Amino acid sequence: MRLLKFIDHFWRLVATTLSFIVFGVGGLIMGVLVFPLLFVFVRDSERRKFTARRLVGKAFGGFWEMMRVMRILDYKIEGAEHIDDTRNQLIVANHPTLIDVVILTSLFPRANCVIKGAVTRNLFMRSVVRAADYISNSQPEELLGSCVAYLQSGGSLMLFPEGTRSRAGEGLVFKPGAATVAARTGVAVLPVVIRCNPLFLTKELPWYFVPATRPRFTIRVLPPCSTSELADGGLSERVRRQQLNESLRERIGSELKRMEFSA
Amino acid sequence: MDTENLYLKIRDILVEQFDVEESSVTMDANLYEELEIDSIDAVDLLVQLKEVTGRKIAPETFKEVRTIRDVLDAIAVS
Repeated sequence: MRLLKFIDHFWRLVATTLSFIVFGVGGLIMGVLVFPLLFVFVRDSERRKFTARRLVGKAFGGFWEMMRVMRILDYKIEGAEHIDDTRNQLIVANHPTLIDVVILTSLFPRANCVIKGAVTRNLFMRSVVRAADYISNSQPEELLGSCVAYLQSGGSLMLFPEGTRSRAGEGLVFKPGAATVAARTGVAVLPVVIRCNPLFLTKELPWYFVPATRPRFTIRVLPPCSTSELADGGLSERVRRQQLNESLRERIGSELKRMEFSA
Repeated sequence: MDTENLYLKIRDILVEQFDVEESSVTMDANLYEELEIDSIDAVDLLVQLKEVTGRKIAPETFKEVRTIRDVLDAIAVS
């Protein structure tokens, strides 16, 4: 028994390392080969955008599935009936692990997302970000406007209001940006709760820390809600966004607590 | 616009738009902790100051800003 446990633990360390290598090499191939070719073969930028996003979604979905098949992790998706990324909506999720964006992008391939400025300037990743027309956060005073404009054009956008990965064991802290985007656009909000137990790929842990038992991810998609459910009307935008932020944090936070007690 | 007027302008924005008590506004009050403005307010303030002064504070500089004095210093060097 002990030997089996040891083998399982050791295998997951090897497999995790392998999967990071696959991610790096895969990203490189996509960035220098696949996406530059996309610019040649798909001239229409609107069509290219969704082809690129579909490709990213498929690649991320494949990666995530590979991690499951390699027995690095296991996952279940709840509330899948609420997944429809052709809707005009703001997808809001908590951010416990390094691979949350991989998960969400594979579930919502058409959705836009905000990419770190450093990544958008990265030589290899530039073509991916440009082809998929993701939003860069390099200009903070333009970021809100870009998010609002994108939603007003009818698309869907995902945001992680924590801004960075959660601090394990502490309550959720949401920065006000996502709530502001919701308040300014009034689009439907789709809360998604992500939980990983035992802890894996968190902010504090190095990527090669592999827990004693296989981590299980639960992705729970909550029913979409309107901004008027989340905040009272008739208030100043500032108060509305604060209310919105608080009720979103409460919805996602309390669901996360429920998941902890039921698991 | 001189420093004195700019200070008054910032105070007005804080009081009128961000619900800050006028009496709590001082040169050295911490914007985020004592005056409780958030990052969205900060960006708003940045945009409005750019309109008033015609000077653009670099976002990296603005990240370091904690007090109104810091804001004024940042504008002075930009």
